[in-house]
Amino acid sequence: MEIAFYLAGLVAIVATFRVITHTNAVHALLYLIISLMAVAVVFYSLGAPFAAALEVIVYAGAIMVLFVFVVMMLNLGNQTAHQERSWLAPRIWVGPSIMAALLLGVLVFSFWHGGSIGTISGEELGAKEVGTRMFGPYILAVELAAMLLLAALITASHIGRNDEPQLERDMNEREQRVPAGNDEGGRA
Amino acid sequence: MNLTLSHLIALLPLLIVCATVIIVMLGIAWRRHHVATASLTTIGLNAALVSLLAVLTVTPIRVTPVLLIDNYAVLYMALILIAGLASTTLAHAYLEGFDDQKEEFYMLLGCSVLGGLTMVASDHLLSLFFGLELLSVPLYGMAAYAYRTRLSLESGIKYMVLSAAASAFLLFGMALLYAESGSLAFADLGARLTEGGGHASWLLMGIGMMVIAMAFKLSLVPFHLWTADVYEGAPAPVTAFLATVSKIAVFALLMRLFLSAPVTDMASLHTIVAIIAFLSMLVGNLMALRQDNIKRLMGYSSIGHLGYLLTVVVASDDLALLTTGIYLITYVATTLATFGVIALVSSPWQGSDVSSLKFYRGLFWRRPYLAAVMTVMMLSLAGIPMTAGFIGKFYVLATGVEAGLWWLVAGVIIGSAISLYYYLRVMVMLYLHPIEEQQYDASSDWGQRAGGIMVILLALAVLILGVYPQPMIVLVSGATLG
Repeated sequence: MEIAFYLAGLVAIVATFRVITHTNAVHALLYLIISLMAVAVVFYSLGAPFAAALEVIVYAGAIMVLFVFVVMMLNLGNQTAHQERSWLAPRIWVGPSIMAALLLGVLVFSFWHGGSIGTISGEELGAKEVGTRMFGPYILAVELAAMLLLAALITASHIGRNDEPQLERDMNEREQRVPAGNDEGGRA
Repeated sequence: MNLTLSHLIALLPLLIVCATVIIVMLGIAWRRHHVATASLTTIGLNAALVSLLAVLTVTPIRVTPVLLIDNYAVLYMALILIAGLASTTLAHAYLEGFDDQKEEFYMLLGCSVLGGLTMVASDHLLSLFFGLELLSVPLYGMAAYAYRTRLSLESGIKYMVLSAAASAFLLFGMALLYAESGSLAFADLGARLTEGGGHASWLLMGIGMMVIAMAFKLSLVPFHLWTADVYEGAPAPVTAFLATVSKIAVFALLMRLFLSAPVTDMASLHTIVAIIAFLSMLVGNLMALRQDNIKRLMGYSSIGHLGYLLTVVVASDDLALLTTGIYLITYVATTLATFGVIALVSSPWQGSDVSSLKFYRGLFWRRPYLAAVMTVMMLSLAGIPMTAGFIGKFYVLATGVEAGLWWLVAGVIIGSAISLYYYLRVMVMLYLHPIEEQQYDASSDWGQRAGGIMVILLALAVLILGVYPQPMIVLVSGATLG
């Protein structure tokens, strides 16, 4: 199982590195999904299947949904069909595909060989164990997380509203912050 | 894990603040009303403050493994609630003229106060992280609240990005500590180190990363670059909140970590913290010298002040706890009143804050009492005798001398000498004759409003504590850990 851990960890690091070096948001997202799936495999190999499933469902799943949402909200019309085609050029998806195939290989290999390739050391943490801890000793953390989400939601809903987007001028600003062409009258 | 009545009593302040946020949210959903929302928040925070008296009957008590509510936590909870209340009153006057939705501000403030309350009571890495995030995430929204002004938006985004980076450091540090010690509770952290064995360098790296994250939040050199921009851009009541609540919570937690976790006993860690403290004192004060904007000036001066206070972390002895309490109380009162004056002059909101020093020229001839408050605050920040700031600085020096930290003592003295120049410059500005009619001024009835009364009370408190600090010292020495 150690080899699965290190292989998935390597994929996660490389994919995350590509996320931050990519200039195109869509391509970066592709790598981000790979990175999250690699982290899920890491969780599996450590004996935490519940965390791994959550990683795939919540992160990879939710991020895909978010991505679709953004594309919808940007109100793309017919003229962007060409752009979408250019996003899916082979040299873009070949990198993530190789990494995804690697992860799949790890999974298939370990399923194929069953227990013969080594076992997970340490205790397994399934949904039941996570649940009893979360709603037992760590109940306050769950409540605090709820308040945290509420705060983030309020922030997003306040700043994200888009009725009157123009910026207002600040009277404390120094002169040098004004662009060069704008102060012709002021000098006189 | 069963929660008994005494556990619930111990949790009262947190529960009341939570309930306030929810009630305010439901109220907004039903009908938007600025005064009602502000009043509800004020009532909620006051109720939480009063409930601390009930909490005192059950302390010290451990509520679930993550929170330890002791007298130390109660003192800083009270301080956070008072700072939150002061910011609420300032925000009420300030937001009167705000041309957008005003009510969400109070919900964000409530959430942030809740995060602060959690932090000062946490002696577990889990509650530390949740508390810190709950403190910071609403602050992004508060800093960018007037998001149509460029500076406010910029300050919110800057704070968010750098805070997120700091959180990443914190999590990485926590993971390393957990990997090595197998526990998230402060008391167990690094206990294996004292038993021998384990990788000491991993522990050092872990705790070092946590210190980096907290230094970010406390804006200590070399993690201070965000401070001036965020202070300048955030609306004045938010700056007041940011400069007090987040510093109290993070510093109280840092003290608890250093006094109760065995992993912090490493000599190299203390050396690093001492270097950070010394640099903060010098750089903060030197950078403040050439500022023309009072909010930026206060931002840099806060770096210097936190540098002075960090002396007690390096010392980490019995006197350290007392010094932390006294210094934080005096610093918070002074900072709140300073930003209170700035907020009052900028109220009601007119598109941006009145923060350029030139707008304060001749304030004394227009609003004498407000100028007097500002004068007292500048003297207190500079640490002149007869003001509370002097008592705080005196205790810091005493701690430094007792622990034999001569470099840091020298830093405090040099920093104070430099700081005199720019604090006095602000004061002189207040009393100069105005050259022209100022277009920005506090409304003429500022003294009859909640914010104005609060500022005057704080100024009186600063003066009284400066002359007769005994009650404060008794109060703080009762706030013991555990």
